[in-house]
Amino acid sequence: MAKTININGVEHPIDVDENMPLLWFLRDRLEFIGTKFGCGSGLCGACTVHVDGQATRSCIIPISALAGKSITTIEGLSADGDHPLQKAWLEHNVPQCGYCQAGQIMNAASFLATNDKPTDEDIDNAMQGNICRCGTYQRIKKAIKSVAYDLAKEV
Amino acid sequence: MNEHVLHALNEWKASQKQDDTIPTPIDTSMSRRGFLKTMSIASGGLALGFTIPACSTTETKKQASAEVKFNPSGFIHLSENGDLLLYCGRCEMGQGISTALPSAVADEMEADWQRVTVKQADGNKELYGPQNTGGSASIRKMYQPMREAGAAAKEMLIIAGAKVFKTDVENCYAENHFVINKLNNQKLGFGELASLAANSPVPEKPTLKTKDQFKYIGKALDRHDQGLVVEGKRTYGVDTKLPGMKYAAISHCPVLGGTLKSVDKDAVLQMQGVIDVVEITPIKHPFSSLGGVAVVADNSWIAQRALAQLKIEWDLGPNKVYNTKEYKAQLVKNVEKPAELVTERGDVAKAFSNSAAKVSATYTGGHLCHAPMEPNASVVWVQNDSCEVWASTQSPEDIQTVLAQYLGREAKDITVHVMMAGGAFGRKFKCDYVHEAAVISKQINAPVQLIWSREEDMRTGYYHSINAQHIEASLDEQGNITGWLHRAAFPSIVSLFQQGLDRAPANALGQIDNHPFAFNNFRSETGYAPAHTRIGWYRAVYAIFYGFAFGTFADELAYKAGKDPVTFLNDVYDNSTPIKNKRKHAEQVQRSKAVLALAAKHSGIGKELPKGEGIGIAVHYSFNSYVAMAVHVKVDGDNIKVLNVDCAIDCGQVLNTDGATAQMEGAVVMGMSLSLYTEISFKDGAVVNSNFHDYPVMRTSDMPNVRVHIVDSDEKPTGLGEPGVAPFAPALSNAIFAASGTRYRDLPIKPLTV
Ligand code: FES
Ligand code: FES
Repeated sequence: MAKTININGVEHPIDVDENMPLLWFLRDRLEFIGTKFGCGSGLCGACTVHVDGQATRSCIIPISALAGKSITTIEGLSADGDHPLQKAWLEHNVPQCGYCQAGQIMNAASFLATNDKPTDEDIDNAMQGNICRCGTYQRIKKAIKSVAYDLAKEV
Repeated sequence: MNEHVLHALNEWKASQKQDDTIPTPIDTSMSRRGFLKTMSIASGGLALGFTIPACSTTETKKQASAEVKFNPSGFIHLSENGDLLLYCGRCEMGQGISTALPSAVADEMEADWQRVTVKQADGNKELYGPQNTGGSASIRKMYQPMREAGAAAKEMLIIAGAKVFKTDVENCYAENHFVINKLNNQKLGFGELASLAANSPVPEKPTLKTKDQFKYIGKALDRHDQGLVVEGKRTYGVDTKLPGMKYAAISHCPVLGGTLKSVDKDAVLQMQGVIDVVEITPIKHPFSSLGGVAVVADNSWIAQRALAQLKIEWDLGPNKVYNTKEYKAQLVKNVEKPAELVTERGDVAKAFSNSAAKVSATYTGGHLCHAPMEPNASVVWVQNDSCEVWASTQSPEDIQTVLAQYLGREAKDITVHVMMAGGAFGRKFKCDYVHEAAVISKQINAPVQLIWSREEDMRTGYYHSINAQHIEASLDEQGNITGWLHRAAFPSIVSLFQQGLDRAPANALGQIDNHPFAFNNFRSETGYAPAHTRIGWYRAVYAIFYGFAFGTFADELAYKAGKDPVTFLNDVYDNSTPIKNKRKHAEQVQRSKAVLALAAKHSGIGKELPKGEGIGIAVHYSFNSYVAMAVHVKVDGDNIKVLNVDCAIDCGQVLNTDGATAQMEGAVVMGMSLSLYTEISFKDGAVVNSNFHDYPVMRTSDMPNVRVHIVDSDEKPTGLGEPGVAPFAPALSNAIFAASGTRYRDLPIKPLTV
């Protein structure tokens, strides 16, 4: 039996060279194009997905390391684009070109899941690996804070 | 269909002599004339050389879905159910143009923005006007035609409504996707009227709204596609997938002008999944490929891996002598001695010898690479009888030109689907990567996606010029400037088109010669600076270093004159002398002073600050827009922390206040990257940098609090993609000086040693 990988709730056989980074398995094999290529070296965060809930740079993790794991991509973050962060991103009109934003949102989602009362410094530290060349950082921070604030209110 | 509408439509048909199965006999020649006329007005008397015909080409027929009934111009497609599809002719790369321009159409048309879908138009300048997107020119060129297209459509819908209501046109008006009969408040939806409206001629000179009637123009409108972005559904040049598509990766000669000596393909061709190795030779066009070797494979990863194993040898050619460290030092020498005269007014030498004080300084900056988050990418499919391109691009027209030349076909036979660009900043104006994909597609006879690696993106760019400037100025007893000598040396963009050029030509110094400071006694000179790499437009272009030199030097003069910088700048503007056009100069002075005052007021410059903090200010006029920035920093040793940026803009009538604000936030980030960190260095002719670790663009922890203040203006709208970048660096340098007494004249301030 071929090894499988669970992506957004669906099992997919790993039918490629096991050294292939997850990014290219997603983009070229499955044609899930929401996850972006920015640097290929773990330096920009455009390719961020969740591996068992943990933000991971898909461009540098080989598919062989992921057999039996659960992957969430931007396409699987929520059913109808209604994750609180997705809503906050619209509320704050974050995207410019939008290319980095899937990675930004995935990174922020995994971080907020472990820290729902982040300080500004926590946000900086968590989001430092995600580059936005268009310069939307101010809005990203505001969007993350607004979600964190709502989460904190719920508790 | 509403029975009254049907009735009116039948009546109209009966009145027509010809075949009534053709529903849209629009008088093309009339609308053609109409648009030509309006375009020549919009461009200040210069015919732009294009027409926007009504729906008359097969192209539009193909694009329009079956139910589109009303199509008075290439941009507007109204369906019977009221859905309105608007095409954006200018290329979108994040600057928000595909929201701004369609919103102007919708506003004039009285369309409901909720019913609007925006699509990116294919490359077709006949239908959409000039599409090459750069120079912050989209709004300047297209605002008026877009409004007129919308207003014309509205008038046609009103005429249709009046027919149905059997009343005079004067009794009807349009509001929010309806035509309303004033007399009895009867309403008809735009969709219902679509077929009937299509039967009116396109009005030549539609009446435009007045400012107080705007619904979308000047408001904060959400970006039309942001919902797609947050769900990962927005597709970019890199995202096109076609059946049977192959994937390619490419390596270029590291040195400009070098050629391929040899490539050992055998081992790589044995690799599983590798399809071919393709050699790409340059063609004679400045935007064509530099030449390279590509590997084609079943997926991008195999292509990249195989490419890494390919043994390629290059003949590096004469530019292998290029070392930026030495080159920059030489530029400094070249501007610190007399150079070639460009412009002279009055008598600088006399002003200098009669002065109370003299100041001189030299400023430098390095090469920059655009590094948009989406690297260069496209899909091309060359077939015997067609060539189709899906590309992130700023210039569909240049793609057509280059591929037509390469394939020996007509430009109009190259179909270019303009994809959303994941950032571009000037890089994607030059589509060498599309040319390469075409060469590969032709050779393997299949659609090909070529994605450049980040390393190739950094090493095979069209770089912002490395530069040096030297300024000398004299002051009188009152601290007023009496003379100004300005020398610049940099390899210019013109070197792309003109081989052997050994310095920037006079027109590349236009921003010096025509600066609103407009000194009486003035001299500009251009120093020796041959190009050893490709030079290109980078967001804000020469305004980056001109803004830096003017803005920083003005601060140095203020200090010498013992005035606060805001007073000093106001004095400089007040004492400036119009060079050619008095009225234009007076306007420049007035608008420059207004943004200066606005930024100064909000920043609190002049107030007491804690030790180690300072506020610096600079104004720059570029791309017909005025921007002033006040930067508030905290300096502690080498640690420079930007706290706040107050940014005041005057770009005439703003189209979208939220989009304008976003452009300024982005300009601050790009300005901060290039002021503090980024520089492309060459060693032995090749770029040393390779990825974001050694080209460290700004990250989130550096983000200051940016506040944008927009002048409410009725002037003609001008662009904002670029003008925000220039004033940041000088304002930062001035702020650091105010905080610490250290003056930085070389960018970037904190270079990495690579
Ligand atoms: S593409 Fe994976 S971190 Fe940049
Ligand atoms: S929005 Fe363009 S890179 Fe982030």
